[in-house]
Amino acid sequence: VGELYLDSRLDFLRTAQNPDGGWGYFPGKQSWLEPTTYAMLALHGRPESQSAVEKAWTLVRSWQTPEGSFRPSGNVDGGTWVTAHMVTLASVRGVYDDKVRRSVDWILSVVGAEHSLTMRAAAFFGLVKTKMDFSHGGWPWRQGNAAWIEPTAHTLVALKKVAASYQSSDLDHRVREGEALIFSRRCSDGGWNCGNPNNLNVDLPSYPETTALALMGLQGRSSQELAGPLEVARRYRKDTKSSLAKAWLTIALRCHGDNPEPPADAARKSEDCMLAAVEALGHPNGNHGLLRVGGRA
Amino acid sequence: MTRRKFIPLIGIAATAGYASMKLQKPPRVPDGPPGKSAVTIIRARSYSEDLVSRMLEGVRECGLDVRGKRVLLKPNLVEFESSTVINTDATVVAAAVELFHRLGAAEVKIGEGPGHRRDTLDLADDAHYRSTVAKFEGIFTDLNRDDVSLVRDFGDEPEFYFPKTVLAADLIVSLAKMKTHHWAGATLSMKNLFGLVPGSIYGWPKNKLHYIGIPLAVAQLSRKFRNTFAIVDGVVGMEGNGPIQGTPKPVGVLVMGRDLVAVDATCCRIMGIDPEKVEYLRMAADIGHVHPDRIEQRGESVDSVHSNFALIEEFRGLRLA
Repeated sequence: VGELYLDSRLDFLRTAQNPDGGWGYFPGKQSWLEPTTYAMLALHGRPESQSAVEKAWTLVRSWQTPEGSFRPSGNVDGGTWVTAHMVTLASVRGVYDDKVRRSVDWILSVVGAEHSLTMRAAAFFGLVKTKMDFSHGGWPWRQGNAAWIEPTAHTLVALKKVAASYQSSDLDHRVREGEALIFSRRCSDGGWNCGNPNNLNVDLPSYPETTALALMGLQGRSSQELAGPLEVARRYRKDTKSSLAKAWLTIALRCHGDNPEPPADAARKSEDCMLAAVEALGHPNGNHGLLRVGGRA
Repeated sequence: MTRRKFIPLIGIAATAGYASMKLQKPPRVPDGPPGKSAVTIIRARSYSEDLVSRMLEGVRECGLDVRGKRVLLKPNLVEFESSTVINTDATVVAAAVELFHRLGAAEVKIGEGPGHRRDTLDLADDAHYRSTVAKFEGIFTDLNRDDVSLVRDFGDEPEFYFPKTVLAADLIVSLAKMKTHHWAGATLSMKNLFGLVPGSIYGWPKNKLHYIGIPLAVAQLSRKFRNTFAIVDGVVGMEGNGPIQGTPKPVGVLVMGRDLVAVDATCCRIMGIDPEKVEYLRMAADIGHVHPDRIEQRGESVDSVHSNFALIEEFRGLRLA
């Protein structure tokens, strides 16, 4: 099935790796944890890429901060949402050590700022212009900010993957809370946008890419709960022009047991490293299964 | 005190504070820096007009010299919805590329970091940038995913990161859209600078700026980036529930100038908004001019192009008397 599609993307990733071992969003640019994660997942388990993946792992492991979070890039101080990617990568690699435990500790210590008592009170008294339910604790892009769909979804994947090793009631509780936040922020059209379904009493539309990521985070929830969102995702995958959204939707649908029609067997057209990796992951012979989680924590 | 008692108390205090803020008349805006700022209003009734010539007229009126400079054009590319006019029109972006080449710029690039959507090129495609701007992909940088450098002089932030493409530019041209904004009142050349902040660090949306406070963040960005010029696309603006869900508002103008505060204040007056009541302009009044007697109006007069933009209820108090 479409090996040109897959091979052209994997070959591109192999040639686009930076000398430090990471990947930039584009070839020759500074290494970032996000595209490096997707490239590592796409190349995982392929013997000819083993040394490239090991080099990348060594690099990104060095980006851990003293409090356990991970920096998004080598020259950026302070940990962010990408810490979730590192926990997912560690789980995929079967690594569970003190570094990973400290990352999970950090993730569990972080909650969206809108979940504070003051903000919940302000929302209760109608002082907040958005119709958002602040009662559930999700995850922000950066500590001290509000929770949004994408960082919450990535974190849910990470926590569900590490749950068997970490084993704590706090983790189970936070997973349930994160899922509840995602459900509470579903748009009226059935999908998800970045996390604000209504503003000034006007419903806002969902986006294909965040709908895909929300579904990734909700893996393990009942098929009855997800029937509607999955239909929206299938429709988005058929209609969207966005290559990134289509690739994320393909992975999400595969993780939920769908077998979407494979892409046309076309060679890579873009110089976007992250896109190449996400497209490779979503291919029928790609590593999308690495992002599958087995059920509730 | 129990939590049950505490929450209502917070609510009452917050409501009282909010009400008193609404009732207070804001103090007079400071005069700003010495001298006057030139702002040019150019008529452009449709996007099919010769926009390059129109812009050239405006740039000359403002006395801008870009010879040998590296110019970064920063359009307002937010989301796409075919029924309205969210983004700086593609024809304006294409005309600006040609304009700055004609004026002798050493390099003309386009950069944007949309606040909501991850696939910037797809968004640019929807907004017809790829089909309208010659060799678009060769000159475009997704500022959300560019290499970054640390800066230590951004407001009260001990450290902040900006894209290298932005920091390397000799001149940043804010190619903004004339729109109302449901949080800030109006979004013009200064608010457009939000797209300089990299999503790879601050997320989608750039929620860090919301926590700084939108007006303060707008003022801080304008204070940080002083090597700027503004061209506001008011050929067709957006009124009502902007910046995304409002309705098209034809005005038929391009508003241009080197002082972004003065450009935005002028745009506000065209839109029927009192700039002295717009919080971000008040906060930035030390770096530019808000008072009409400190703005040297060139080209068309404000009165000749003035057209009240519909305002959502929360901002009716901004209406220019």
